[in-house]
Amino acid sequence: MSPLHLCLLLSTVLFCIGLAAVLVRTSAILVLLGVELMLNAANLNFIAFWRYGPGGDDTGVIFVLFSIAVAAAEAAVGLALVIALHRHRRTIALKAANQLRG
Amino acid sequence: MTGDYGALGRALLPEGVLVATALVVILCDLVWGRGRGRESRVQASVLLGLLGLVAACVILWQEGVLGEVGSGALNLDFLAVAVRVGVVVLSGFSLLTLVGGNTRSQPAEYVALLLFATVGFLQMAAAQTLLLAFLGLELASLSLYVLAGYDRTRPESAEAALKYYLQGGVSAAVLLFGFSLLYGLTGSIGFREISLVLVSNPPGALGAVAVGMVLVAFGYKVAVAPFHLWAPDVYQGAPTSSAALIASASKLAGVALFWRLLWSGLGPTSGGVNLSSSGPGGWVLVVAVMAAASLLLGNLVALAQRNLRRLLAYSAIGHAGGLALGLLAAGEVGPGPLFYYAATYGLATVGIFGCIALTERETSCATLEDLAGLWRRSPLVAACLAVFVLSLAGIPPLAGFFGKFVVFAAALRIDGLGHPAGWVALLAIVMSMVSLYYYLIVLKQAWLVVPPTPPRRMAVPLVASLALVAAAAGLVVLGVFPSILLGLF
Amino acid sequence: MTLSASLLWLIPATPLAASVFGLFAPRTARTLPIAGALLGLVAALGLSVAALAGALVDPAVRATSDFAWFTFGAQTLRLGWLLDPLAGFMCVLVTLIGLLVALFSTAYLRHDPRIGRFFGFLSLFVAAMLGLLVTNSLLLLFICWELVGLASYLLIGFWYERPAAAAAAKKAFITTRIGDLGFLIGLVWLHQATGSALFHDGGAGALDAPTLARLSSTLLPGGWAVSTAIGLLLFVGAAGKSGQFPLHVWLPDAMEGPTPVSALIHAATMVAAGVFLMARVFPLMAADQGLATVPFHALTGVAVIGAVTALLGAVLAVAQNDIKRVLAYSTVSQLGYMMLAIGVGSWVAAVFHLITHAFFKALLFLGAGSVIDATHHEQDLRRLGGLAGRMRVTFATFALGTGALMGLPFVFSGFWSKEAILHAAEGWTVSHLPFAAGLVGVVLTAFYMTRLVLEVFFGKARGEGAAHAEESPGLMRGPLVVLAVAAVGLGWLGLPNWPWLQTRLQGGDWPVHGLGEGFGLMVVSTALVLLGIGAGWWWYGRVKRTDARALDPLARSWPAVHAALAGRLWLDELYAATVGRAFAMLARVAAFFDRWVWGGAVEAAGRTAETVGQVNRAVDEDGLNAGFDNTSEHLRGSGRRYAKAQTGDAQSYLRVVAIGLAVVGVLLLWGGVR
Repeated sequence: MSPLHLCLLLSTVLFCIGLAAVLVRTSAILVLLGVELMLNAANLNFIAFWRYGPGGDDTGVIFVLFSIAVAAAEAAVGLALVIALHRHRRTIALKAANQLRG
Repeated sequence: MTGDYGALGRALLPEGVLVATALVVILCDLVWGRGRGRESRVQASVLLGLLGLVAACVILWQEGVLGEVGSGALNLDFLAVAVRVGVVVLSGFSLLTLVGGNTRSQPAEYVALLLFATVGFLQMAAAQTLLLAFLGLELASLSLYVLAGYDRTRPESAEAALKYYLQGGVSAAVLLFGFSLLYGLTGSIGFREISLVLVSNPPGALGAVAVGMVLVAFGYKVAVAPFHLWAPDVYQGAPTSSAALIASASKLAGVALFWRLLWSGLGPTSGGVNLSSSGPGGWVLVVAVMAAASLLLGNLVALAQRNLRRLLAYSAIGHAGGLALGLLAAGEVGPGPLFYYAATYGLATVGIFGCIALTERETSCATLEDLAGLWRRSPLVAACLAVFVLSLAGIPPLAGFFGKFVVFAAALRIDGLGHPAGWVALLAIVMSMVSLYYYLIVLKQAWLVVPPTPPRRMAVPLVASLALVAAAAGLVVLGVFPSILLGLF
Repeated sequence: MTLSASLLWLIPATPLAASVFGLFAPRTARTLPIAGALLGLVAALGLSVAALAGALVDPAVRATSDFAWFTFGAQTLRLGWLLDPLAGFMCVLVTLIGLLVALFSTAYLRHDPRIGRFFGFLSLFVAAMLGLLVTNSLLLLFICWELVGLASYLLIGFWYERPAAAAAAKKAFITTRIGDLGFLIGLVWLHQATGSALFHDGGAGALDAPTLARLSSTLLPGGWAVSTAIGLLLFVGAAGKSGQFPLHVWLPDAMEGPTPVSALIHAATMVAAGVFLMARVFPLMAADQGLATVPFHALTGVAVIGAVTALLGAVLAVAQNDIKRVLAYSTVSQLGYMMLAIGVGSWVAAVFHLITHAFFKALLFLGAGSVIDATHHEQDLRRLGGLAGRMRVTFATFALGTGALMGLPFVFSGFWSKEAILHAAEGWTVSHLPFAAGLVGVVLTAFYMTRLVLEVFFGKARGEGAAHAEESPGLMRGPLVVLAVAAVGLGWLGLPNWPWLQTRLQGGDWPVHGLGEGFGLMVVSTALVLLGIGAGWWWYGRVKRTDARALDPLARSWPAVHAALAGRLWLDELYAATVGRAFAMLARVAAFFDRWVWGGAVEAAGRTAETVGQVNRAVDEDGLNAGFDNTSEHLRGSGRRYAKAQTGDAQSYLRVVAIGLAVVGVLLLWGGVR
């Protein structure tokens, strides 16, 4: 198995773990963590493709730098929203956010 | 990356103006707004924001089509310019709903965030690399999440924002993963280069996964079933002007971005507009299925809604099916019908939210019954509402009818009923008949039903009424003279 | 003075301006909107007369004036106006009757606080109808067609406080919408097949001979000509608007609107639209006539449906107790005659009958309105009676209208136009059944109208309202008299030996034949009319009803027949027993799926199938009364069930996204990304 394949395997596993967390964890914070894992799995892919793939320039690295920054901003916004939920419902369980429906 | 920085600077000038305006708005509120009444702070912020948007619009108009800049990172072709002008106008109208609407705290930050979201839309309209597409999408999305949750007094707002955020975050992660696979498959992030590689090397299973991931993000951004679930909750919970922005400008920009990405980037994986002899395949089929699901689900569920905003949301899901259909047809006839549909749809929707904003200043405007007797409270608002709703319903000669007409005709032109898009167009025609029913329920409430308590005249600020009339007139004029938009393409 | 084709748009524009004015005038204003509407109608009438004069200079010439609406790429969509004698006559008819109805309404609705709005809607209604008449484009015609539907919805539901009115408006809307669906599909197909949205365009239009030859020579699987299929689809639309079986159910319910609206709908605007459409696209409908190989001719379908409607409407009118419902079913029946005429190939006879019918049916409805107004909204003919002495003008005019509707010989207009239809049906070589149906309809028409007149105007007053009725005000009597003159006199425009109207409409020669040639037919139909009157008098005239609660004489003689007719031939029950049960069955199957088959995707597929089934059923059900409310209710029910999928739980949304991702991925892998 080539290093590229190993990296891809790792990133796929990371993505799936993140997705599983998103789908089953009840705490909003842990769901946010799951989203972060998924984003970072993609970042790992970019790095792996840049390192072992055909591309000759630094596009992959640049992409990753940007996406790390975006992920950070996203986490900040997400935490703020979780706090807003907590302020109204006194809990961070996702189940608390079920008033809008139908 | 080397390139003509002058051209790049000119291309990004509108974005620069908007960012600068956002900062000025915040600064002005800090310095000038201290100790002043909330109403005047709102007005000042909106005024400044509007000035910035107008300036950006003028610059866009002046510069016109610049072609590719930044080594092909941005493509300011005709569609890009049209969409950029469109989103700026729609953002402007969304901003104006603040004037009529309930005054909320910290208006300056709100306006600034709205401008940042607009910058994201502008990027989305022109992006031609995966990186800029992702950045534009995220810049817009992150601002929109905050705007959706801006009303801190209402728990619904927080809940809506959280749901919007969670689904958006997952979709963004999925999209980024898809982008990484595309990068790996083609070694490039430019749409055109990706397309070139995909033509010569059929992508295989990994490519299918990547395309599927892109489609998930498309479904989320445009609220196409089955990725629409956030939409009703956000429409209901978000502050009115945020909902207006999400429903109008965000959709227009999203449609433009994914048109470019799917056709000029992933075109080789479409399975061809004209399905080749080897059987259906490619994303054209999947998008057709999504469009059909949206049309069915959105229009049928809208029939059962009593809440005005949820009704709008489900009707939006139905229209998202129409937009997806337009996206398919765009492969055959170009993006003209798609742009016309999305722009006029956005205008009508933003207008309805404007009416809601004005109505809910004095009484609640949640259920359909809250609209009862609107024509007595304000004939102007009721008349404009009628124009917007009838346009959404596709009653000729309003622009909404024409949008549907060109999109359906384009879809049928691909290959009649020999192509899935033809059948979806037929379904769309049937569903627009169904949709008329619930749209007319809205109008019946506003125009015929007499409320149990005698209605009071509502005060409509001059600016708000001018904005409403402008939007309504726009729909009428664009409907009667569709060449104004269509002739451009 | 004549009006050129390029200025034709002025005709619909004047009432349209009046309607905008009426709808946006201050709520309290009463005089201004009324004056605006009347002024608009008078102007439109003047313009219509000018247009007709222009068209009659040379009836064979079709003046068109087209303009490009928009250009998109290489495609240009053109719209335009068309002036021929058909459009000219129809415009004069619509504006004249619209004006008379408007005059009548000023008195009839004098106490209604929303009278200004009423006149706004009325002007819109007339404007949309006029636009439909003068257009040279199927697309523009469709646009006006939809506006007619919208305005009728507003007018039928004008007294929306009454649940029956609201329901009737809804039913009218939904039923005609089902017809419109056929129309729209036909329109898109025609545009697709001909590449032109114009009717006549110097040989390239959709109704020009070269195009039609192409359409009729293109065959579909099964040997059908394309023109047959398109023609039948357009006929579905016409059937919806013109109340043809099985889409006739809305027309009697539309009685819930104010009576002048009924007069307008039944005479000039709404129902005339369908017949007009068929007359306009007649070349298309008849394009397959020359082909011996096609299994089915479009006109045959029109004739059969027309005959069934003519008979069914007349039968159902016999046992109605509401004065307006009797007239409504009579309209259904007469519209059937017109469609029958078109089906047997004589669109000119159909338009002739459309014109005469418009006048006498408007007269009858306004007369009924006068009665209803004078008796304080008493519409049940069992509780009326003895009005002949109290309301002399109303009675005299109503009697003239009745004579015209029955087709009393020689004097009345209805006689000549019906004669033209029967003559054409007699000569139809395909089948004699439509002719027979027409003859039976003549007897029934005479019978139910005799019954109506005897019950309403003779005997003694059987209710409070009838006992104290007084003649209506002059503003209501005036239009009645004008219409009565027209109901008698108009027939002289189209005598068999002097077919002035027919020649003009046809734009060419019309076979003139002396009175002697069709004399046998005239004798037969006169005898049939007399038979109907005699039967009516036998049951309702010899012994006058004295008590509102007394059994209907017909019910005493033939209880089973009367019960069947009063129950509208149990169409409702038939519906409940068949379609309703089938639906319950399907619902059970769907419930089974809900319970036992897990998985969102599978469930979605089941739901989709169910919904498609429901849409299908929506199309099936409309033949049977009461299906509409159920259909929309079913649709809403399925909407509610979908809405339940929106549980509100944020995590379930994310799960749907994940499932969606999986489904999309599987679809792409299965299809193979190339």
